Amino acid sequence: MKELEKTKRISIAAVLFILIIIIGLLFYERPKHLYTVNSNDMLEKVIKADYFIALDKIDDPSIVLIDIRSPFEFEKGHLNEAINISTPELLKGDNPELFNKIAANKKVAILYGSTPTEANNAFMVLYQLGFENIKILLVSLAYEQNKLITNNSIIEKNVTDINAFIAESQKKVKIVPKPKKRIPKKVVPKKKKKKMPVEGGC
Amino acid sequence: MINRKLAKVLSFRYKILAIIFLVLAGGLVVLPKYEKQEGIQPEALLKNAVSSERYITTDELADLIINQDPSFILIDVREEESYKKYSLPNSINIPLDKLLSEDSNSFLNQDQFDVILFSNDHFYADQAWLICNRLDYNHIRVLKGGLNAWFNTIINPEKPSENQSVIASELYSFRKAASMYFGVAYPDEFKAKPVVKIIPKKKVIPKKKKKKMPVEGGC
Amino acid sequence: MGPLIPNDIISHEWSYIIAILIGLAFGYILEASGFSSSRKLAGVFYGYDFVVLKVFFTAALVSVIGILYMDYLGYLDFNSLYVHPTFLWGAIIGGAIMGIGFVSGGFCPGTSLCAVAIGKIDAMVFVGGILIGIFIFSELISFFEPIYSGYYFGNVTLVDSLGISPYWFVFIFTIIAIIAFIVVDIIRKRNKKIFYN
Repeated sequence: MKELEKTKRISIAAVLFILIIIIGLLFYERPKHLYTVNSNDMLEKVIKADYFIALDKIDDPSIVLIDIRSPFEFEKGHLNEAINISTPELLKGDNPELFNKIAANKKVAILYGSTPTEANNAFMVLYQLGFENIKILLVSLAYEQNKLITNNSIIEKNVTDINAFIAESQKKVKIVPKPKKRIPKKVVPKKKKKKMPVEGGC
Repeated sequence: MINRKLAKVLSFRYKILAIIFLVLAGGLVVLPKYEKQEGIQPEALLKNAVSSERYITTDELADLIINQDPSFILIDVREEESYKKYSLPNSINIPLDKLLSEDSNSFLNQDQFDVILFSNDHFYADQAWLICNRLDYNHIRVLKGGLNAWFNTIINPEKPSENQSVIASELYSFRKAASMYFGVAYPDEFKAKPVVKIIPKKKVIPKKKKKKMPVEGGC
Repeated sequence: MGPLIPNDIISHEWSYIIAILIGLAFGYILEASGFSSSRKLAGVFYGYDFVVLKVFFTAALVSVIGILYMDYLGYLDFNSLYVHPTFLWGAIIGGAIMGIGFVSGGFCPGTSLCAVAIGKIDAMVFVGGILIGIFIFSELISFFEPIYSGYYFGNVTLVDSLGISPYWFVFIFTIIAIIAFIVVDIIRKRNKKIFYN
């Protein structure tokens, strides 16, 4: 009989162990959106910079324009045949499916906002979630007398040579710039792993 | 009677337990694998991306630099060439392709300083920010408008016309003073002593994150 | 979600309280399953009782399977768990010394304290020995230092160093464990049964 008592303990432990795993499985909810691209691949894509499309190439029938501005801005004026999905709404409702459908039809979704930078948020989030057929339209939008004006936009254009400007201004006044005091560069101490005391086993 | 039957079943108990183990361990092997989710939830990333909280204006930055605020690091995410040509004072160059390298990690993934990313516009800096944000690096900000805005507002501020508000002219005088700090000379200001407006120093409270300490085990 | 303390779901201040509770439970279970008897512990080495081996093997299996399931389901982040750093030769020499102490003394450090708690005199002597050992080691620390903190391999796990998928590793480990259980059972049956009081 003593043997049987021991068995009870064993079976209780075993049942509990299985129960915990089953409960875990039952309550497990697969997250709705999963990344399929990791950060390194995303960075590679960013550097490759092949995800831009110029304004004069949007007449192609294989593209779908998506306006990521707010519905309010969209109402004020938008490009022809554009669909409005504002950035905060990207992952809500049927919107992800829409992108899937665009992919299934072998079309390319072109995102645009009032600047390419605005579209970039949506682009990067979507790309990391595995929607690869998306591009950013190089456009900047402006209004003139309530009419939408589209301009070609060049990203990250270096407009002026700031050094030259400063030198120019100094030449005008004919002063010799004082040698600038260099503030020593900040050095961020590398975080050392805290050395933990080695604990003994039993 | 029941007891005897039960005893009979239970005589196999070790075998049953062994089988349970095998099934569970085997289950791990056959479970469908998916790539480990790295960083924060996509929904959270989107929410952060939409928020404009990350932007710092050029005026705020100029203020920080002039007051020699020690709590921030400037990081130039353009390529090395442009960095050498001109960059903000005391900035560190981390080109985009080195963003995730180990050396950059000690600058980006820390909570002692605020990190301010900038590029010519804020497009690249924004991209860098999004990548960092997904990896849950805190205290990273983006210079709104980047160097172009820096030039247009601080280095070469536009003089407000007469009929504009007082605020505009005040802003102009601040920017002009700032530009002189950064080396621009004005003919009209040459003889007069430049009056640098004292702007109340904004206190940046470094948020202290609790260190993630691994819990030590041992028996 | 987990691990609870590093992710601040339970604050750091609680860690000692939790440690005490776990320690109490651990001590209770050690004592309740008879681990405070040096004969039972030393039985592994003489081949008449393999409870120690079975218990620790099973405990390792249960926890590793549990952790991997929780990690898979996203309840626990496998990578933020603490991994004991490896100091290779320190571990080898220390392990050998502990093994010798284990056979000759009949306790391992944890169980010796358990046995002290129920008033076993041999365990008290054993703990005294441990303290003397600690004292000698601390006095000669500068002499042992190169081995003690040398041969550092970082926080590696078997899975890292073997380079196989943790799931396969656990599966193989389970099979090894079950085979080990069967083998030790056969060895035990060959020996005379020993009764403890």
